Amino acid sequence: MSFVLVAVGLLSSTAHLGRPERAWRAFSQWRTSWLSREGIMAVLTFGPIMFIGGNAYLDLGLRSMVAPMAVLGILGAVATLFTTSMIYASIRAIPAWHNKWVVVGYQVYALASGGVAYVMVGGWQHYQITIYLLIAALVVKIATWIHIDRNRGKYTRESALGLTDFGKAKPFEPAHGQKNYLQREMGYELNPTRRMVMRWIALGLGFILPAYLLYVGFPLAPIVALICLVGLMAERWLFFAEAEHVVRLYYDRDEI
Amino acid sequence: MTCLPEKTDKKLGLLIDLNVCVGCHACAVNCKEWNTSGITGPMEDLKPYGDDPSGVWYNRIHSYEFKKEGEADRTVYFPKSCLHCEDAPCVTVCPTGASLKRSEDGIVLVNPDVCIGCKLCSWACPYGAREYDTTGGVMQKCTLCVDKIYDASIPEERRVPSCVSTCPAGARHFGDFADPESNVSKLAAENDARDLFPEMETKPVNQYLPPRKREKHVERALVHKVNNAKDALIKWAKLDFTG
Repeated sequence: MSFVLVAVGLLSSTAHLGRPERAWRAFSQWRTSWLSREGIMAVLTFGPIMFIGGNAYLDLGLRSMVAPMAVLGILGAVATLFTTSMIYASIRAIPAWHNKWVVVGYQVYALASGGVAYVMVGGWQHYQITIYLLIAALVVKIATWIHIDRNRGKYTRESALGLTDFGKAKPFEPAHGQKNYLQREMGYELNPTRRMVMRWIALGLGFILPAYLLYVGFPLAPIVALICLVGLMAERWLFFAEAEHVVRLYYDRDEI
Repeated sequence: MTCLPEKTDKKLGLLIDLNVCVGCHACAVNCKEWNTSGITGPMEDLKPYGDDPSGVWYNRIHSYEFKKEGEADRTVYFPKSCLHCEDAPCVTVCPTGASLKRSEDGIVLVNPDVCIGCKLCSWACPYGAREYDTTGGVMQKCTLCVDKIYDASIPEERRVPSCVSTCPAGARHFGDFADPESNVSKLAAENDARDLFPEMETKPVNQYLPPRKREKHVERALVHKVNNAKDALIKWAKLDFTG
């Protein structure tokens, strides 16, 4: 299952590129680019997963190698998640991403949802661990939002303009009549009601309800996994919807 | 290569004088004129005469109104293009090496033959200096007219970026910030030059000169004039023509 998920993830990551046929070049800049490192780690993690899968399906009988390969696979997965989170956490221009909670969050949401998936494929014997992970994910998500909400307004338009000693600045004539790339890409305005609804969906379906259903021993584990998936999709949607970019200070925002 | 150079031999960049800029957009227009047939062109221009035109510009002219207690309001025209930062975050995030900073002169460029159009660089830039070419599927940005400033076939005095050569007000200056004796370094030192968004820790090469502070008596006279004009307008609106 993890093999399929990683493959689908990697392939779909090329779909949003302007020039997908050149995607292979993205493996070259591991010295500075977290995006490049992510691609490399994701592909490297394939190795141990393929070994375990191949060993099981083709009945190779290499049982002594399974445990070390599993450890490698886990280390690879954790490293891949770390590189993914650093793509976002390294971007100073987006305060909602540029913090340690994003890095912690990636690991704990992955562990919690992975735990739910594990229960789904028959791992009921350790379901308590999954419940603890879901609770941890809940706490981290709330802490992340507290951090984001408390740190709004640190950057001002005046600072963006380098003119902090001339009073308050507001836009006068717009630089262009129609929206440009920057406003289309980074100008999403999240309305507060929608934010609240999506936050409750993320917490409720992503963590609270799955934890409760596992606690009461709800028999249909795939349903629990599906609920968790919907919640996490809301969480992912918010992650991008709340990623306010400081370039908006040159346009419609006084502070971010 | 997306490693930033330890040190660049030159730091070529622009010094933009906000006290002089009149907001005519000539620099943006001439930029597009030159660069659309330049090394990173063409610059996308979709539905230019339609009701929803869009496209790529390397330079855009914003304007702001500044209000401060006890001072007359100011209008500031604010041209914004790539600042060719020393610590350019757009370069280091690039997964392919398409985004680069040249070690010889510090110019930040995108190699359109290697760019995969992932757009991460445009997210990493705090200034909005990069715009995406939807037709070519690659990122585009100011080249500091690298194909003009080194062109030996044109007279030496014309080897400056298009935005600089076209500015009718003389608000834009081009030079080497690494040389303390250059025109831009001297102007910057004499006139309280500013970095845009210093908190972003990008060390921009381009500098901006702020609007000059007004003399006390000029400020007072200006506030007085504005207030008088306001009072006169209100009286006229009331059709009150007394004294």
